[in-house]
Amino acid sequence: MSTIAPTPAPATLPLEPAPAPPARRRRSGRIRWGMWISLAVIVLFGFAPVYWLLVTSLTPSDRVFAFPPALFPTQITFEHYATVFGNAQIFGYLRNSVIVSVITAVLSVVVSMYMGYAFSKYRFVGRKSLMYFVLSSQMFPQALLLVTLYLVFAQFGLLNTYLALILSFTTFTLPLCVWMLKGFFDALPDDLIEAARIDGAGPWRIFHSVVFPLAAPGLVAAGLFAFVRGWNDFIFALTLAGPDRQTLPPGLVNTFISEASTSWPALMAASLIVSVPVCVAFILLQRFLVGGITAGAVKG
Amino acid sequence: MTSSSVTAHDTTPRRRLGSRLGDRTFLVFLLLPGVVLLCTIVLYPLIRSLVSAFFDENLLYPGMEFVGFENIAAVLADDFGRLVWQTLIFTVGATILPFLIGLALALVLNQSFPGQRLLRGAFLIPWLIPGVVVSFLWMWIFDANYGVLNGILMSLGAIDSPVAWLFQTDTARGALVIAKTWNTFPWVMVMLLAALQTVPGELHEAASMDGAGVVRRFFAVTWPHIRGVAALVVLLEFIWNFQHFDTIFVLTGGGPAGTTSTFATEVYDSAFRGYDLGHAGALGIVWMALLTVLVVVYVWLSERGEKGVSR
Repeated sequence: MSTIAPTPAPATLPLEPAPAPPARRRRSGRIRWGMWISLAVIVLFGFAPVYWLLVTSLTPSDRVFAFPPALFPTQITFEHYATVFGNAQIFGYLRNSVIVSVITAVLSVVVSMYMGYAFSKYRFVGRKSLMYFVLSSQMFPQALLLVTLYLVFAQFGLLNTYLALILSFTTFTLPLCVWMLKGFFDALPDDLIEAARIDGAGPWRIFHSVVFPLAAPGLVAAGLFAFVRGWNDFIFALTLAGPDRQTLPPGLVNTFISEASTSWPALMAASLIVSVPVCVAFILLQRFLVGGITAGAVKG
Repeated sequence: MTSSSVTAHDTTPRRRLGSRLGDRTFLVFLLLPGVVLLCTIVLYPLIRSLVSAFFDENLLYPGMEFVGFENIAAVLADDFGRLVWQTLIFTVGATILPFLIGLALALVLNQSFPGQRLLRGAFLIPWLIPGVVVSFLWMWIFDANYGVLNGILMSLGAIDSPVAWLFQTDTARGALVIAKTWNTFPWVMVMLLAALQTVPGELHEAASMDGAGVVRRFFAVTWPHIRGVAALVVLLEFIWNFQHFDTIFVLTGGGPAGTTSTFATEVYDSAFRGYDLGHAGALGIVWMALLTVLVVVYVWLSERGEKGVSR
């Protein structure tokens, strides 16, 4: 399955321009109209919510609860961004998010680098079953896993610690990284390893001096994916972290949503800020995007 | 990547490396950390939760009492039909709608026109932003009192007074499906775009010489090329939606009156609101059994697809 199989390294497929299609000389007017209308609807559906997110975050507080809301702002303000950055709690959540996501990413990459290499370059008894285990561990329902992770962590006194968050994030980042990195190692020619062997290098040396440097771009890509997945997690962080260890997604809920009222513009401003690192990571990852997304097909 | 790669490389010349490089201790070193970690954080908790299905166990009190199949029988008798139905409504809706939108968009963006490249990137935004942000955003759009959706519909005269989309039994499901659709259609688009690029342009040329219209060419030329990927996309979406939690939890919390609850929200509720671990575990067993069927179909389909494409 060439399109779905891990297309390693420089797979730039969908962001590159497509080869020019044949001229459609006889396309009927009706179909062209239908196409334009459906495209317009999809464009509206795709972008209007993002537009509304932006507009709300820039709307002065006294106008947010005007109804019907003004679709085009007559007055913009940055007060809500100031509110978000002026909130000391938010910086605590931000720090937790960075710590937990970075450590999760590093742990996942280190562990899955070895596992992915073994799956790619070694043949051993039980290899296929083990690979299916890794694959299917992404299919286990998070909500169910959450309940027992809570019990296990409670038993070992790990609730409300960074470790609890890192370990619980690893349940979904590790399988993803293993599959991505196996794809990268598959793309490295065996001849390299053979050559190093003939030069007398042992397996340990071959991996760390020959394979590792070549796989570095793949490791970075996998790490970024893991970072983003950890950064985005809501439910594990909400349940397993206490107030001191809460990351941004549940932290935003605590800060801006309450039974009595919700500060929508501030929440939208904070939401945009949370999305920034993800977008930056995406821009850095563009080169690996298809390989990554399709590897993520194991768990999107 | 699918399980296809489980089988994809088995027949390569690499097989001989296994024996020659076969330094057993090194292999153990490679695999051990991953295996230990996965067993501790995935396998053990999972077994633990399935075990609790057979016990009367409460989150607040220590100790557990063996009750056999009582919990599972209770789930099958009380919730089963309702949960399967409600989970299916969400799953089917949140699979079909993004598929149709993603397919339409992929077909359009596969043409070359000015700005096409930029548009491909921009359409990924809904998929890129964190899921919880997606949930907040739609919560605000659907807001009963000040939501922009009510604002627009009232200006258009479609409704007379604001509608509480997320709090009415007849609209809440649709609202959830729309929010989830917005989040996932870009993924479908990317997967299908990748598939569309395998369709040879000459085939289209030839078909259009023979007088085939756009629709005809889609079904005769394009569809057969992307069918395999499309099937996998649908199945994966189906599996993920079947266990989806975040959007439902944030937007409706399973309400109103339990009409949007699924296996995911119900397991969460029975464990953390009802403190009934036995019930949560029993729900989990039933849920996992249904999921296993889906995953088996997925593995079977991707292995079959593997054979079909790599001939």
